[in-house]
Amino acid sequence: MMKKNTKSIKLKKYIKGVLFALFFIFFVGGIIFPFIWQFLNSFKNQKDLFSIPPTFWPSEWTLQNYIDVFERQPFLLYLKNSTVISLVSTALSVSIGCLASYAVSRTDIKGKKVFMLVLLSITLLPPITIINPIYKMMKNLRLLNTYWGLALAITTTQLPMAVWFLSTFFKSVPNTLEESAMIDGASIFKCFYKIIMPLVAPGLFTVSILVFITAWNQYLFAQVLNPLKIRRTVTVGITLYQTDYTVPWGTMCAASIVITVPLIIVVLLLQRKIISGILDGGVKE
Amino acid sequence: MQKQKAKMGYIFIIPSIVLVLVFIVYPVINTINMSLYDLRIQTLAEGKKFVGFDNYIKLFSDKTFIESLKFTLMFTVVAVTLETLIGMIFALIMNKAIPGQGIIRTAVLVPWAIPTIVSGLMWQFMYSDQYGIINLILSKLHLIQDYIPWLIEKNTAIIAVIIADVWKTTPYMSLLILSGLQTVPESLYEAASLDGANKVQRFFRITLPIIKPVVVVAILFRVLATFRIYDLVVALTSGGPADGTQSLSLYTIKTYFNFGNLGYGATLAVVTFIISLLISFLFMDALKTKMEKV
Repeated sequence: MMKKNTKSIKLKKYIKGVLFALFFIFFVGGIIFPFIWQFLNSFKNQKDLFSIPPTFWPSEWTLQNYIDVFERQPFLLYLKNSTVISLVSTALSVSIGCLASYAVSRTDIKGKKVFMLVLLSITLLPPITIINPIYKMMKNLRLLNTYWGLALAITTTQLPMAVWFLSTFFKSVPNTLEESAMIDGASIFKCFYKIIMPLVAPGLFTVSILVFITAWNQYLFAQVLNPLKIRRTVTVGITLYQTDYTVPWGTMCAASIVITVPLIIVVLLLQRKIISGILDGGVKE
Repeated sequence: MQKQKAKMGYIFIIPSIVLVLVFIVYPVINTINMSLYDLRIQTLAEGKKFVGFDNYIKLFSDKTFIESLKFTLMFTVVAVTLETLIGMIFALIMNKAIPGQGIIRTAVLVPWAIPTIVSGLMWQFMYSDQYGIINLILSKLHLIQDYIPWLIEKNTAIIAVIIADVWKTTPYMSLLILSGLQTVPESLYEAASLDGANKVQRFFRITLPIIKPVVVVAILFRVLATFRIYDLVVALTSGGPADGTQSLSLYTIKTYFNFGNLGYGATLAVVTFIISLLISFLFMDALKTKMEKV
């Protein structure tokens, strides 16, 4: 009787292990596969890309697709534009959001709730509702096809996330810390940047990563506000390799790897920060 | 001291308020106003003509609008339902102390980090009927005999868009649900198993009620984000075949910038806004709990 029991427990454990392994392969494989496939395709020559049925490995590894990415369009310029716009958006969102979060969570200003409610409704607002007036406004201000125009638009959409997320960080700094510093004669402003800012720095860092990735991936505003080559971003650029007559898949696969790899590296290096950012900023708080 | 601090608070909040007024409040009012006019790029010289609610009446006879609304709503319901169910299963597994947890969590971030426009192009190539990997895999598994022309027929194109969206957003959903699961105290499970509750009972009686607020807010944000789907259809189908996967956002953009019909485009934008608002009202309780924490 005893023996049978331990045996069935062992069997159960074994089955569980196999089920888990299957899940693991299915889950991780399913999630990663499209990216891996794209990666392999980017090194294939024309013959491999359009072979019927498709072959998994490239018969010869070629860099021609990557050369084409930069020869057919000024992709290096697009990369620079995307980088600058994402950095400016990040700096703006974090600094403006940081000030607002401090005001909301640590001072007695009136209308806090209304302000937070307005921010919350921005996240619920479809960008399509504001796109044309913003386009007209940028046109009148001569901010179309500039770094600042697009960065400002992106900042506005990212502000709610930044403020919601950062205000929980600001709240977690104990009041006594600030009070004792003030008793020692520090001014309010000094308290802000000498005592509170260093304590919320990890939060600022997480928000920066999240805003940067969103800004880099932005398509709708980038397409409408920066249509000209000179300030075009990578997400818009990649859609322009295809014409009505040809779809150069090799080039597009290579371009998508060029766009995505910086992000994947960021994700791999900072995954803990990003996950905590998504978890706290999304809904938890 | 507090007064002085409040003064600083007001100064600190000014940049945000300016940004919101200029880039959100004014554009929303402007769009609503524009939706009451007949204004086209082609006849810009003649100026705009006030037409009242004519644009809104036109919606009812606009087949393209009705088709795109139908597609967008259907897509939203199906995609978010799948994302939530699959995301829940993933989250439950990720919540267990299992080997390879780090790999799973990193893998989960990959689809999230890839720009939607890039993932759309990626899937477009995978769906290609002869060169595509999807048909190859399906035929190798003997699930299909003939290759499916995924993006050429309307019904399969809709399924294709849904699959691509589920792939992109389920991982994110599972992380959000996981954040809820991690707040469930272990002691509750122990007490329940002492009372003889099985796993299924424990899930429905303990886990689900506790994580419900988190899941509901996550669903709300996913529903609204899915409802404004734009990038994915642009890259994957361009709204085709025959407008079969044309989302409301895509139709609005086309009306604005391709057809140059600014008045009617604004009307479509307002309708998208109103539907988003109605959806938010459905989730009012969840939003209230979020606001209470301010």
